[in-house]
Amino acid sequence: MVAATEARDTATTELARQGRTLLPALPALVFLFLAFVLPVWVLFLRSFTEPATGLGNYQSLVTDSVYLDVLVNTFFVATAVTISTLLLAFPIAWFLVIVPSRVARMVFAVILLSMWTNLLVRTYAWLVLLQDTGAINQFLMYLGLTSAPVPLVNNMVGVIIGMTYIMLPFIVLPIHATMSTLDPALMQAASIAGAKARTIFFRILLPLTLPGISAGCIMVFVMSLGYYITPALLGGVRDMMIAQLVAELIQKFLNWGLGSAAAFILLFITLAIYFAYVRLVGLVRPT
Amino acid sequence: MNSSTGSGGTLDAGVPQGSQPARSMAANLLSIRNLSKHYGDFRAVDNVSLDVRRGELMTFLGPSGSGKTTTLNMVAGFDTPTAGEILIDNQDISRVIPSRRNIGMVFQRYTLFPHMTVAENVGFPLMVRRVAKPQIAERVTRVLKLIRLESFGDRRPSQLSGGQQQRVALARALIYEPRLLLMDEPLGALDKRLREEIQLEIRRIHHQLDVTIIYVTHDQEEALRLSDRIAVFDNGRIAQIGAARELYDQPANAFVGAFLGNSNFLTGKIATANGGRYQVTLKDGSSIEAPARLALAPEQPVSVMFRPEKAILQSVSETSGFTNRVVGRITENVFLGDSATYEVRTASGELVTVKQPFGPSETKTRTMDEEIAVSWPHDCVHIFPIDR
Repeated sequence: MVAATEARDTATTELARQGRTLLPALPALVFLFLAFVLPVWVLFLRSFTEPATGLGNYQSLVTDSVYLDVLVNTFFVATAVTISTLLLAFPIAWFLVIVPSRVARMVFAVILLSMWTNLLVRTYAWLVLLQDTGAINQFLMYLGLTSAPVPLVNNMVGVIIGMTYIMLPFIVLPIHATMSTLDPALMQAASIAGAKARTIFFRILLPLTLPGISAGCIMVFVMSLGYYITPALLGGVRDMMIAQLVAELIQKFLNWGLGSAAAFILLFITLAIYFAYVRLVGLVRPT
Repeated sequence: MNSSTGSGGTLDAGVPQGSQPARSMAANLLSIRNLSKHYGDFRAVDNVSLDVRRGELMTFLGPSGSGKTTTLNMVAGFDTPTAGEILIDNQDISRVIPSRRNIGMVFQRYTLFPHMTVAENVGFPLMVRRVAKPQIAERVTRVLKLIRLESFGDRRPSQLSGGQQQRVALARALIYEPRLLLMDEPLGALDKRLREEIQLEIRRIHHQLDVTIIYVTHDQEEALRLSDRIAVFDNGRIAQIGAARELYDQPANAFVGAFLGNSNFLTGKIATANGGRYQVTLKDGSSIEAPARLALAPEQPVSVMFRPEKAILQSVSETSGFTNRVVGRITENVFLGDSATYEVRTASGELVTVKQPFGPSETKTRTMDEEIAVSWPHDCVHIFPIDR
């Protein structure tokens, strides 16, 4: 951690020292300005000016119960996805640390391969698996656990399952990175000192893995807040998330003002969470 | 350090109550019986048996891969034996999990918990034993005093030097008064001066607390400095066990002779045996005498061993001196202040090292390429049969 911060500092000073050589980056900066900064700025202005000048759009978003539901939904899904990915990722990361490196490389390959596969394809694959006549429901009915298909898709359950799967690599990787720097002898030392497995987990392994856990959680949570495709395909009409709302408002209703305001609420929340995280963990210093 | 533990059973959490009487009687705290650890075809530990006496500091000495650390790990419970028994106070503990063995251990790398202060690290074993907080604080203070780091309790491990970290690790291993303390090359990462300082510290604590210690090292000097007894490991087996002096003066085999201290090895074969002595014909044709400690037949090829400091150098014309004598030329000449070390190449091309201390009478230095006689007394010779 300290080393990373130091490395960053060195990099920053290096950059400052070579300030004049930023020239080669100019084309990219111009592109970013034209394609990103300018449109965002325009949208930002429109959120205050359409249809009428003022804070009207923001006011209706935080007071109208339809929009409030979307906000609550968004946070609920992001939280649930963060928790479920964390519960799955921790054992996976641990497994990757303790297995021989040959096995670990194979598992990593599977994780990366799934990340590189087209998002739509993966989401439709879940649709196939989760639908009433899908493999999962047929298996459950074959086992006799249920007589009628369990609704697994077009609802919150489907969204959470699909997003958990898609977000998993983003939390496994940082947790694994932290865990692999731990000396296994620490766990042995705790064990010979009399600590039972439970104590070793809660007193040694968990606190020492916390930097990776928090980095992974913030990543998954923030990415989930603005997720679009998976909730749109696997969710029901009533499970709308904020990104869908933005798309709906702008594409269907051409309400640029309200749509922009919704997008900026999402952006503000994301930035607030990011800065709170930086404040608390201090891993990344905004410079 | 007295054992005012308050809550009675906390110190011996892992010891079945039935072993209490046996504990005070048996002289051996730890008995290893026919212990083996195989990894596939590789025998990391091969039928090892040894006893560690109560209150003793025993060193496991051997090169890397000789099985000393694997044996230690099985005593700690980090490895499961393929065969054999590990008895502590006559109870087989080879299937008991590490946390219930009531053994302390100091590792080669500093294994302090980086997210805890020094005091929290040292108090950790008591915390997991659910000792009351004020008692933990009191005992932490006492054990930190023992390792002379009483003012460091609030620091983080990262704020300590390597030597200090290892002393804290020692304190953490001692605070719960384990019946046995294992140390796995604990000073390997430290420089020579610091190492010697902490070796003295370990000796002092060993005497002060009367704790039984098994100390693993590949450094023979460290073993000589610390141990009551040394177990020399070679290829997963025990080559010899004994006090340092015994191993040095009476090595049971060529490996122990070569590993502990410096030695000369010459090859030859038994010529005759009479009166408790062997006549041995060396490769260069000279004949020497050796005490007949082992029963060997004539013509048996042997390795003849003697220590560099047991031999003297003489000019070839001098005939006084010891029974055994070879002639050669000086090929190396190193002045070490209190002594000089010479390397002599015999007619057969074998090298003999002679260490000549500069006492009150011996002042001569020899020159390179001088023709010289090396002579040494017959009772300093050890002969080991060579298998062909």
